[in-house]
Amino acid sequence: MSAKTISNTRLDHPAAGAYVLEVQSLVRRFGDLTAVDDVSFRIAAGETYGLLGPNGAGKTTTISMVAGLISPDAGSVVVAGQTMDPKKVEVKGNIGLVPQDLAIYPDLTARENLRYFGRLQRIGRDALDRRIDEVLDLIGLSDRAGDLTKEYSGGMKRRLNIGIGLLHQPSLLILDEPTVGVDPQSRNAILESVEALSVEGMAVLYTTHYMEEAERLCDRIGIIDEGRIQAEGSRDHLVRLTGGVDHIRLSGSGDIEAAAQALRALPEIEQVDADRRMLMLTVHDAPTAVARVVTTATEAGVSLSDVEITRPDLESVFLHLTGKALRD
Amino acid sequence: MRQLWTIVGFDLRQRLRDKSILIFGIAVPLALMGVLNLLLGGFDESPELEPVTVAASVPADDPLAPTIVDVLTGLDVMDVTVKDMPADEVDDYVADGDAAVGITVDDGFAQTVSTGRQARVEIIEGDSSGLEADVVISVVQGTVDQLTAGVVATVAGSAEGLSPDELATVGRTAATPSDHIALIEGQASNEQLSTKGTLVAGQTGLFLLFTVGFGVLALLAEREQGTMARLQSMPMRRSTVVLAKSLTGFLLGVFATSFLLTVGSLLFGVDFGDVLAVAVLIVTAVAAATSLTFIVARVARTAEQANVMQSIVAVVLGMAGGAFFPIPATGLAATIIDVNPIAAFIRGLGITSGGGDLADLGTPLSIMVGFAVVCLLVSRVIPDRAATT
Ligand SMILES: Nc1ncnc2c1ncn2[C@@H]1O[C@H](COP(=O)(O)OP(=O)(O)OP(=O)(O)O)[C@@H](O)[C@H]1O
Ligand SMILES: [Mg+2]
Repeated sequence: MSAKTISNTRLDHPAAGAYVLEVQSLVRRFGDLTAVDDVSFRIAAGETYGLLGPNGAGKTTTISMVAGLISPDAGSVVVAGQTMDPKKVEVKGNIGLVPQDLAIYPDLTARENLRYFGRLQRIGRDALDRRIDEVLDLIGLSDRAGDLTKEYSGGMKRRLNIGIGLLHQPSLLILDEPTVGVDPQSRNAILESVEALSVEGMAVLYTTHYMEEAERLCDRIGIIDEGRIQAEGSRDHLVRLTGGVDHIRLSGSGDIEAAAQALRALPEIEQVDADRRMLMLTVHDAPTAVARVVTTATEAGVSLSDVEITRPDLESVFLHLTGKALRD
Repeated sequence: MRQLWTIVGFDLRQRLRDKSILIFGIAVPLALMGVLNLLLGGFDESPELEPVTVAASVPADDPLAPTIVDVLTGLDVMDVTVKDMPADEVDDYVADGDAAVGITVDDGFAQTVSTGRQARVEIIEGDSSGLEADVVISVVQGTVDQLTAGVVATVAGSAEGLSPDELATVGRTAATPSDHIALIEGQASNEQLSTKGTLVAGQTGLFLLFTVGFGVLALLAEREQGTMARLQSMPMRRSTVVLAKSLTGFLLGVFATSFLLTVGSLLFGVDFGDVLAVAVLIVTAVAAATSLTFIVARVARTAEQANVMQSIVAVVLGMAGGAFFPIPATGLAATIIDVNPIAAFIRGLGITSGGGDLADLGTPLSIMVGFAVVCLLVSRVIPDRAATT
């Protein structure tokens, strides 16, 4: 592992054996280019793991090895206790792949697409019909199920693309940038259905270069750049690694100085800066602290007109780790 | 196994749905058969040429000139009656419609020819003359040309010249009528097939290469559509997908070929003979053509490339096999025909339509099987260009 890699494997991981996916020291080269360079991570059941990185970071290449589309040059992938390999048929039944590029038949309806792939997943006829209805409902396409998919909007195609990956209820669902080129409404629908999945106990591997998505969906995030995982952990953990802190800004009128005094006494507050109409607080975890902050300030005689929380985001973490912006 | 048939069933339904098989596998070849039949019709069945009368004025004492008339009366393809008459009556005779063609050969024909100069032979065609007159005219022209060539060669070899009899023999040899006719009928590779039979068999064989190609195209389309990645992530062997596509091509090929031969033979009145033998020919030819698509699948990166490759291969093999017009089998063409599954297919149909059965098909069948084996071996050796994408 590179010296730069910061890991908190010990902190967050459940007991060994509970992992649905274990990726160990994966390497994949294309000619002189090492697209994936010593990548390791693990995902437990019910956990959503995000690979966050810019274009060309090696996300799709990693996923292609996890899904058994290509062989690694070194390292191993274990899914539900079995080693993954392009030649292994049985292991593949445990995964559902949602490829980055749409993988649906344009001249078929959504239902026909689902039925065809479902049969290839060896789902029995009756179970399949039931499951197709469930999936259509989940991706919100029930009323358009009979339309040819070439007539769908970009967002609808994306949702179907995801639905096909879910059909056979895999223990590991792999989503490769599933919201690229999607309108905000469809994107929200997609994110909501992914959230629902991890509740069902599915392990989810989610790649994206949108940090908001990683923040919202993922229990843990691996920040990947140039084929390497630069840091890994929960959002808060990553932010702390880079020394980031939260800020709460209070605006209002009244006895600002008395409020500043009272707030300094609170254990969760690290620092208080005040001017005539405003208080700027430095805290560790703004969302948990904010309620007490507001009460304390109000009790001290300040009538608040505005409360604003600012937190360092993964964008700044990425900048800190790689010296470059996530999106250029 | 179940997944294999799921894919095959799916692909077959897709091809029927987008009508590509109906258009390119059935409608186009049938239309081409019709068009080619019209084009080739003139040279087709010899009994259709009507008997014809030719008015001729030929110097009787010339050692060469009577050869021209002899050639005409000796034609196999039609009956020619030659009316001998003085030169000044020929025009009127033709003008009255009593003869379709008039031929006037000047005195001293042999003399002129032997000096290497162009001899003058006047040919007139009657107003209402048809195809038969054209055949007479082209035969006369050909005979005169060859007499000229033959005589010049002979004279060059003998300063003293030859006796008139010997000259006539040389001329006759140079102008054997069957030379022309052999060229027109071109039955080098398909002894027993009529021109119409060749047409039906040839177009069927040519389009077979396109029809089985739908399998490869479907494979490449999966790659382009992005669905290949999804298929490969499913619990089945990689080879299942490739196998399914080939099987689809094979089934489409068998269907289209059987259909074309059946409909073609009904439309054009061709009898291909023993049904079992023809069925074996069809299956073997489709297998050979399908094996070729394995190579295309390896080499082509996109469906477009595959399309171009297939078209080239189909036209080359089809032409060499005599799909458009029979070509005389000599030199390179003969070699291509020898290893060409389409040619073997047409030859095989020639044998069956001539009354042959399965036992007589050894040569064409082994050519096709050999071709299939070689293609499969070659495709295994070629690295898969599209495998990494
Ligand atoms: N088949 C291939 N042949 C050659 N190079 C490849 C191939 N696939 C990927 N690469 C290279 O490997 C690197 C990683 O690519 P990859 O597709 O894994 O990135 P990514 O993180 O998925 O990017 P994006 O966000 O754009 O999808 C890139 O430099 C890419 O050009
Ligand atoms: Mg990618």
